[in-house]
Amino acid sequence: MFHRKVATFAASALALGLLAGSAFAATTVNFTVAEYSSKTGPFYKEVAADFEKANPDIKINIEVVPWDSLLQRLTTDIAGGTPPDISIIGTRWLLDFASQGVAEPIDSYLTPEFKGAFIDTFMKPGIIKGKTMGLPVAASARAMVINTDLYEKAGVKPPKTWEELYQASQKIAKLPDTFGFGLQGKEIETDAYFYYALWTYGGDILRADGKSGLDSPEALAAVSLYKKMIDEGLTQPSPTNYSREDVFNLFKQGKVGTIFTFPMLIPQIKAEAPNLHYAVLPFPVEKTEATYGVTDTLMLFSSSKVKKAAWKFIEFTYQDKYRKQFDLGEGFLPVTKNIAALDYFKTDKDIAGFAAGLPYAKFAPVIANWEEIADTTVRALQQIYLGQVSPADGLKAAAKKINEIRGL
Amino acid sequence: MTSSTSLKPLAMILPGLALAILIIGYPIYDLGYASLHEVSRFGQLRDFNGFNNFRDVFEDPLFYGSLIRTLIWTFAVVGGTLALSLPIAMMLNEEFYGRGLARVIIMLPWSISLTMTAVVWRWALNGRAGLFNATLMDLGILKEPIEWLGEANQAFTVEILIGILVSIPFTTTIFLGGLSALPQDTYEAAAVDGATRWKQFRHITLPLMKPFINIAVVLNVIYVFNSLPIIWVMTEGGPANGTDILVTYLYKLAFRFGQLGKASAISLIMFGVLLIFTIIYVLLVMRGEAGAEAEE
Repeated sequence: MFHRKVATFAASALALGLLAGSAFAATTVNFTVAEYSSKTGPFYKEVAADFEKANPDIKINIEVVPWDSLLQRLTTDIAGGTPPDISIIGTRWLLDFASQGVAEPIDSYLTPEFKGAFIDTFMKPGIIKGKTMGLPVAASARAMVINTDLYEKAGVKPPKTWEELYQASQKIAKLPDTFGFGLQGKEIETDAYFYYALWTYGGDILRADGKSGLDSPEALAAVSLYKKMIDEGLTQPSPTNYSREDVFNLFKQGKVGTIFTFPMLIPQIKAEAPNLHYAVLPFPVEKTEATYGVTDTLMLFSSSKVKKAAWKFIEFTYQDKYRKQFDLGEGFLPVTKNIAALDYFKTDKDIAGFAAGLPYAKFAPVIANWEEIADTTVRALQQIYLGQVSPADGLKAAAKKINEIRGL
Repeated sequence: MTSSTSLKPLAMILPGLALAILIIGYPIYDLGYASLHEVSRFGQLRDFNGFNNFRDVFEDPLFYGSLIRTLIWTFAVVGGTLALSLPIAMMLNEEFYGRGLARVIIMLPWSISLTMTAVVWRWALNGRAGLFNATLMDLGILKEPIEWLGEANQAFTVEILIGILVSIPFTTTIFLGGLSALPQDTYEAAAVDGATRWKQFRHITLPLMKPFINIAVVLNVIYVFNSLPIIWVMTEGGPANGTDILVTYLYKLAFRFGQLGKASAISLIMFGVLLIFTIIYVLLVMRGEAGAEAEE
């Protein structure tokens, strides 16, 4: 029991310290903001300042944390007994937060009017066992981006099917110092780069019975195509040395014909490679159209003692003027109907290209242990890309491991 | 009188001892406590589950892979560091023009955080855009760029070399301190007796430097064994867990997969390994010293 006492002591010392500091101050709401770009922190501080002006009795304490360390940070904060009141999280973590009782169901706070402001597709991933556990705060869908200059030089048309992409990549790879297809093989979202193919081949991450879909014929066909492109030199060499950013950098340098990416890359291309000509297109299709829809969630902590004030602030941040500034500034797709109705999302060719996929977007399954399952998939892909195992064996072993993790 | 003399020293180390127990002992106690419980995704302790976490660890093939690589990593980095640092320290101990500058250059990597060094190397080793390949190709050593971190064995080798590079300043500093304390007249006497430089090194420098080498071994083993940044920044233990050592694997388990109970068990095992190593090493050193004294 010794360590319990120390913990209580430390906590009360901390509380005393905090009290002493703000004995007469107003309610404080602690808000952990995930850093999407250098604009995120200043944006939320501005919103908080406006809010504090309107509500002098509430103070918003914003802490900006980089995405890479966000989950670790929240884990240690929760374990240490000092979680924030609100946080932006990856929706893929939400189930863990909800099932551990860390997330507060927000149905009782949601007025019909406020709820109606959101696009339903994006509300859905936040609903767990019939309860709304969080609000969508950012959304993106993925798409294929091609270097139109390279396609012209090689004399090929933008691909609509995987076979066309394969053939186009063959021709582009023949150009000097150029690769046909940029393939990610390292670190965060290496698995997503494969899901694009898996889905459009007609496969899925999980089968209808909840077991892994990695040992399906569709998954095999998808990964075999990637492997064939590696072996024939159509991708950049050693994809396992290329993280998402590395692949995107090759594209910005004009060395790659085709990549799969997110809307946030477009402002980067405009800033860093203004002379690059590109087009945003849907993914190649074998059987069905698909894209990866990704949302992030704004979550209220069940341990919060200032839920009312926190909720007031949450509602405040969803005003149209702030949402517009946020979505346009970060390059996200809108999560609220009013912003989606803006002309920008229809007339801007690039954003429209990404938004086009939303009707058929797939989301990462909301299941426990998702990170471990994703890691198992990445390990299998890397082994296959490196030639350590055959595609069939690698996928079969990964599916077996995933089923074990899922307890099936 | 006897009781007061035996109590006094005890009483004098008591404050230090209490502090050490608080700082070192408490986290270990907490880890041990957590490792015997089911721990939630967010670090809240649930039910007592005996040795289930340890069983999970010992049933995990990735644990054994990481353990073996940890031993290779520690042995190679510490061995390489010692082999390079002693000659470097001896060179820097000689009088020569620009010695101050040379010392600064050797110490410089120390002043940069490990993470920054690793980030810089990650960029430099990038296959297409990295400076390292570009330099080698300009010099005509390479024709085609090499993807240094694309394959596990090669990546691990590169990481070991960088590990050695960043460990040199600290070790060299220890050795320089030792060398400057060596009595010069011994060397003069040896030179008069006709001892070659090699013989001087073998029979004077090495034995007299032994305590410094010992401390360098122990400290480096502890630092390197527990060192996360280089491998984490450069490859995150990949591709396909091929460069995972225990500490990177532990980090993944704890903060990506949320298996804090299993991660606590691995931490304790790591602590045990280091403790056993240190005890064995200290015993060996003490026996060596006792033997040397007996000879005299």
